Amino acid sequence: MLTALILVPAVAAVVVMLLPSDRKELALPVGFALSFVPLAIAGYLFFEFETGVAGYQFTQKAVWYEPWGISWNLGVDGISLGLVALSVILIPIALAASTTITDRTKEFVVFTLLLEAGLIGSFLALDLFLFFVFFEAVLVPMYFIIGIWGSERRIYAAMKFFIFTAFGSAFLLASIVALSVFHNRQFGSPSFDLLELMSLDLTLDQSRWLFAGFGIAFAIKVPVFPLHTWLPDAHVQAPTAGSVLLAGVMLKLGTYGLLRFNLNLFPQAAVDAVPIIAGLAVIGIIYGAVVAIVQPDLKKLVAYSSVSHLGFIVLGTAALTSAGFQGAVIQNVNHGLTTGALFLLVGMIYERRHTKKIEDFGGLAKVMPIFAGLFLFTAFASIGLPGLNGFVGEFLVLIGSFPSIPVFATIAAFGVILAAIYLLWAYERVFTGIPDKPENQKLTDLNAREIGLMVPLVVLMLVLGLYPKILLDRTAASTEALLDRVEQATTYEVPEQGRLADVFAGEGDE
Amino acid sequence: MTFAQVLTPPSVGWIAIAPEIVLGVGAALILLFDVQYKPKRTHLGLATAAIVATAFAFAIVQYDRVQTLSQATADQAADFVATAFPFDAMIVLDANAVFGRFAMLLVTGLGLAAGWRLFERLGARAAEGLALMLLSATGFMFMASSTHLMMVFLGLEVGSIALYVLAGITRERTESDEAAIKYFLLGSVASAVFIYGVALTYAGSGSMNLLEIQGVLARNIFTRPAVLLIGIALMVVGMGFKVSAAPFHSWAPDVYQGAPGGIVGYMAAAAKIGGFAALIRILFTAFPDFISTWGPLVAGIAALSMLLGSTVALVQDDIRRMLGYSGVAHAGFILTGVVAGGAGTGEVWFYLGVYTVQLVGAFGVVAAVTGAATSGAGIDAFRGLSKRAPFLAATFTVLLLGMAGLPLTSGFVAKFGVFTEAWQAGYEWLVIVAVLASVIAFFFYLRVIVAMYMEEPVDEAVAPPGISVRASLALASLITIVIGIVPGPLLSLAGEASPL
Repeated sequence: MLTALILVPAVAAVVVMLLPSDRKELALPVGFALSFVPLAIAGYLFFEFETGVAGYQFTQKAVWYEPWGISWNLGVDGISLGLVALSVILIPIALAASTTITDRTKEFVVFTLLLEAGLIGSFLALDLFLFFVFFEAVLVPMYFIIGIWGSERRIYAAMKFFIFTAFGSAFLLASIVALSVFHNRQFGSPSFDLLELMSLDLTLDQSRWLFAGFGIAFAIKVPVFPLHTWLPDAHVQAPTAGSVLLAGVMLKLGTYGLLRFNLNLFPQAAVDAVPIIAGLAVIGIIYGAVVAIVQPDLKKLVAYSSVSHLGFIVLGTAALTSAGFQGAVIQNVNHGLTTGALFLLVGMIYERRHTKKIEDFGGLAKVMPIFAGLFLFTAFASIGLPGLNGFVGEFLVLIGSFPSIPVFATIAAFGVILAAIYLLWAYERVFTGIPDKPENQKLTDLNAREIGLMVPLVVLMLVLGLYPKILLDRTAASTEALLDRVEQATTYEVPEQGRLADVFAGEGDE
Repeated sequence: MTFAQVLTPPSVGWIAIAPEIVLGVGAALILLFDVQYKPKRTHLGLATAAIVATAFAFAIVQYDRVQTLSQATADQAADFVATAFPFDAMIVLDANAVFGRFAMLLVTGLGLAAGWRLFERLGARAAEGLALMLLSATGFMFMASSTHLMMVFLGLEVGSIALYVLAGITRERTESDEAAIKYFLLGSVASAVFIYGVALTYAGSGSMNLLEIQGVLARNIFTRPAVLLIGIALMVVGMGFKVSAAPFHSWAPDVYQGAPGGIVGYMAAAAKIGGFAALIRILFTAFPDFISTWGPLVAGIAALSMLLGSTVALVQDDIRRMLGYSGVAHAGFILTGVVAGGAGTGEVWFYLGVYTVQLVGAFGVVAAVTGAATSGAGIDAFRGLSKRAPFLAATFTVLLLGMAGLPLTSGFVAKFGVFTEAWQAGYEWLVIVAVLASVIAFFFYLRVIVAMYMEEPVDEAVAPPGISVRASLALASLITIVIGIVPGPLLSLAGEASPL
């Protein structure tokens, strides 16, 4: 089942590649149609997924190359389930949003589908070798998507994106090699199996170095301040679909990696590193938000807001509490939905006006009421208005981190206020007032296709905001298990949780 | 002595050198036929391909023989020695030698197909070029299969001299002459250094047979260690020249740039296979106990090669020079596996096998784009190649990503293998240097991809490549991807390839 989930997009990519080259117009519809197959599979998984089970489900394991101890080892748990679902939802949307791509459409669809296969593979892999393969392989399609279909400075952005990430991956690779060698020394055979590697007996020094090796790779991917500089460039230059997938899913590889690998493999080092990680997360939250406020470019504003929002996810991870983990996991999904939607909206207005400068707009609410409404709704979700999904995630992160790292949590809370400032101020400048610029007066509102793109995202924002149980139920057991793992392997004790957390974690929904 | 006895050939184990015989005799026949009958060039090419294929078939027979030998029982010991070490133990029939032949013959076949347009251009000299190619392959295969330093040297010279001539085979062009003379001068110095190392080793151990040397060194605590150590170092340096490891690499970019485009890929790949095969054989067979002595030396050369090769490649505007410097870096990566000693043989061979295939393929693309009989390949010629020649651009991308070591290509598995071995052997620092060098290397490989896919095309039509070129490039890319996804079979095969 999980294998199919990875292979179907890959096969779909091959199918699209083999389409006759004189029927260019076929590529996008075929790719779009085929991308519903993984969506269906993932939907089945989501509802078949047994809640309350901590371990990996639907596992599949096949030996890849015995002497090296590598295997095709897949499984899904509460931490990865949401991300898989997010990937399969965003891919059809990203494809459908790309009708303006006329140059080399076929290649674009192929790269997008390959990206999907790689992303899903990364989230499902339980073998570190396999994980690295996918983790690194997703760079190539994204590199081409930015580099070929991006705007003016696309080559610079694509290169920066690739080199930054590859630089991080180098440390990850060295650390994975080291882990397998340590396993070989302790148990007589190399292994890359996550579960087997968790039983390694590492000295504190070893685990700290390896934690750093893994950490740098994921921190660049997230990106954690001060390694974030590639992100605004990549986002601004990428085509809309590229931005959606980059922010929506790809960055989650970093936050996912921290949760899955850093905490599981090096618990003691993780506990020791909490002040550093939390500190960087909080700097990211505040810095990203402050920089977002002053951005003159709408897309750059959303990009910096990503830095800020992802800071919350990292903070939740560093909190080392149940609510923090839950918040991090659900915020992964939330951020993918809201930021993805924001990038889509920015892309739609860019297609009409060919500018992303905030000052070029004004009073758009009068000419494009639907667009304005959707933007405001998404902005509220992103800010964290209660009742919408952003609130659930950020609130859980904050109450989760308050007991363990109160100072950081307190500072981070200001990020929420700043988010309201930059998004609402941007809304005000773009949409309110009278449309005084002549170019803005004859803009057309969203068409049916564009509304269709936004509907699933908006619905999900609302559903996850009002009824987060649908996701939290599925994540709870896994995050608890992760916390247990950290507690058992170290002297760390989870602080007493505040009662507010029960509102979300327990049965009593709002 | 009866008549029948005279006719019965002595049991000298011809099978151990059957592929070399096929290539050598084939080269001679091609020259003779060319003089006598003036056959069509296409026929010459097909004949050469057939010779290579025959040699390959013999190599497979040898592989089968080696498999049988490896299961020999104690009472078959005498038989084993006779079969495995024929010609007074000058030659060895083991998996290491056989794998060397596989790699060498594959590269020869690919190189022939990918560079075919050069031989067409050579006109009357096509037969000479083909014969030289076969002869150089013969020499380098001997380097992989001899256990005697004199034989290693002979193989080295046969192979190298043929390559010097090939570098200058388009002799009407001065760049080609320059490349040939440079290659010849520096290569000769390297050979001299190597043979001096052989002499000192002989002085230090009393033998030139690698197995005997090993025995002598194991039995005696020390026999003139300083002389011996200098001997080992000089042999490493000599081979370092051949595989273009830094700081003995300076010839490589110049020669790769100047030599005719159709043959460069083969030249680069063949010299690497021969050099590494001999290096593995010498270090692992004769001096396994000295690993703590030569290990750091090799590690130092490896680190320098990787860093220097990757950084200098960044600033090259000529694709061939860039591939030359990237070859320096790759020599370093392979040496990273060598420091692990005998345990890393499989990974080293795997790396060599997949890298040389990529190398031949990449130079095949360069030759198809900028000409098979010319020198140089400015990056400008590759701008917008994806629109002008999508097939060439796509295969080049696969091959470059393979060299860069991206996952799902054979290059990644290869890098992973040597890194693991090096870490296992305690060279953690070398692995860190290696991963950083691979990141630097991403820059220049991507630069070419950027030029091909993301920049506006230049108005220069690329002549559609011939069928042999297309086939060889498709094969090289296919190998790169398939081995990247299913590395198991080749890894196991290479894993058997440790020298006896």
